Amino acid sequence: MPTPNRLIDRCNLRLGGAVAWLTLVMALATAAVVLLRYAFGQNTILLQEGVSALHGLVLMLGIAYTLLEKGHVRVDILHNRLDERRRRMVDAFGHAVFLLPVAALIFLTSLPYVAQSWRVAEGSAEVGGLPGIYLLKTLIPVMAVLLFAQGLSELAKTLGKRK
Amino acid sequence: MAALAPIALFLLVFALLLLGYPVALTLAGGALAFALALAAFGLFDLEIFGFLPARIFGIMSNQTLIAVPLFVFMGVVLEKARIAEQLLDALSGLLARLPGGLGLGVILMGGLMAASTGIVGATVVTLGLMALPNLLRQGYDSSLATGTISATGTLGQIIPPSIALVLLGDVLSNAYSQAQLAQGVFAPKTVSISDLFAGALVPGLVLVGLYALYVWLTALRSPSRAPRPREGLADGKPRSNWKLLRALAAPLSLVLAVLGSILAGLATPTEAAGVGALGAVLLALVNRALNPEVLREVCRSTLKTTAMVFFILIGASVFSLVFRGLGGEDLVHGLFADFPGGQLAAVAVVMLAIFLLGFVLDFIEITFVVIPVVGPALLALGVDPVWLGVLIAVNLQTSFLTPPFGFALFYLRGVTPPEIPTSAMYRGVIPFVGLQLLLLLLLFVFPNLATWLPGLLYS
Repeated sequence: MPTPNRLIDRCNLRLGGAVAWLTLVMALATAAVVLLRYAFGQNTILLQEGVSALHGLVLMLGIAYTLLEKGHVRVDILHNRLDERRRRMVDAFGHAVFLLPVAALIFLTSLPYVAQSWRVAEGSAEVGGLPGIYLLKTLIPVMAVLLFAQGLSELAKTLGKRK
Repeated sequence: MAALAPIALFLLVFALLLLGYPVALTLAGGALAFALALAAFGLFDLEIFGFLPARIFGIMSNQTLIAVPLFVFMGVVLEKARIAEQLLDALSGLLARLPGGLGLGVILMGGLMAASTGIVGATVVTLGLMALPNLLRQGYDSSLATGTISATGTLGQIIPPSIALVLLGDVLSNAYSQAQLAQGVFAPKTVSISDLFAGALVPGLVLVGLYALYVWLTALRSPSRAPRPREGLADGKPRSNWKLLRALAAPLSLVLAVLGSILAGLATPTEAAGVGALGAVLLALVNRALNPEVLREVCRSTLKTTAMVFFILIGASVFSLVFRGLGGEDLVHGLFADFPGGQLAAVAVVMLAIFLLGFVLDFIEITFVVIPVVGPALLALGVDPVWLGVLIAVNLQTSFLTPPFGFALFYLRGVTPPEIPTSAMYRGVIPFVGLQLLLLLLLFVFPNLATWLPGLLYS
């Protein structure tokens, strides 16, 4: 029976691993847009908006994964001089005081925004564009939830190591 | 009191950043904590956070910024498939007779790449991934290497066709017509994006020249900081020209195709980046340097870098909402509005403010927040719009480069091996900041640097 934070880690790791492939799809689809337009004179709004949607998926679903993989940049001018214990204290402080409230803020403020979008089943403003903009907007609270969960897991790991 | 709050926020968040918790969350979390503390005393209206989801969605759906993951992807492929290494080797092989040949190759390549993306984060990260390992392997001093890369990576601000210049041109042309309308000029002159492109070209090339001169002189004076390549090239003689040409041809034509299609107006930067990414994959396949394992690494690395860059943008937007909620913008506006002294003094003060704002806000926010406020006032004083635009672009570039808060340094830190201390990066970039200031001074003394070419082309 895995512990909750192991479960969160595994979830974000799998998700990140899957979403990562979308960057390749983005590149291929963008190249296809250019090819279709110049070689075949095709209208490519749908494909272009598809790339835009992939971009949204990549960055919103990748944030928690990047936290897990320690990919978010730090100003480490002082951090480098701290010992292991103090670094953990900084991390615990940051997870509790910065990460969790910010994730909560993004989640709470996005709910009415997303609900409004669902209510009107918002689609693209472009003619012939992608439907389901409301799904794309839903990525905002989803990102917040993933980030919050990953933050809890990181906090648990940081506090667990102290003992 | 009201004037102190935005300043206190600035100082608090900067102090918190030094703790070393991830930048994106510190920007957002510090600002949020500050806002909540004030709100507890009824001094801050939390309603402003209602704008946050729309801002985040704006970041997600910004068409220009889609170029970031694509250019990162291209860079990671070129790096992991060792194509960039061959290109750099070839370039430095060509330049091997010169001291600091590899460094000069990086600047040359950076100048090319800067022109093709125009996005600071992407260029710095890509260049860092491509060139930093090479420089370090050849024994370059780590501070010289990182300084060269961050400075070269910010060239995208100033070398056209830069996205910063497109946005700036748009806002400046509005400000220009506003200023003239307010003065009762009913057949106003206009300023276009191509004016700004032409204006930035000469200063951009001057900057490349200054960088190259600095690296060359450093290598000349202390060869240990920029040693010449060892095996095969130790005698300073390049390999056979044919071999060099072959190593250069494929990647160079890739970069030139990406750049050319943007310059010729055939493709947007995003499209060109997508084609470039595909080209890099094909090139890697031809070189037999690509297998599923490498491709998986490329995708994951691209994902992490993309999420890192965009999360900083999201964090900065939380910060800027709080800053706005505290009346920080009004404070800045008031500061500029009744400034004593002539035209040059006013411009100098605006430049200083933009420089400081560049520490927390990226060029898009500054362009859309600060320039509409100060632009019309300055242009009404008779300041040349092209000159002002170029000055702003060079200034922001300097700001992105200046320790300890320069954006470029954050981005490069993310792809720099942990053995290299941040203090070494700071030391390395300072001479380049000096060169930037030199160019700013030159622009102040000789405005013709910026206004000569557009005058020649468009009048």
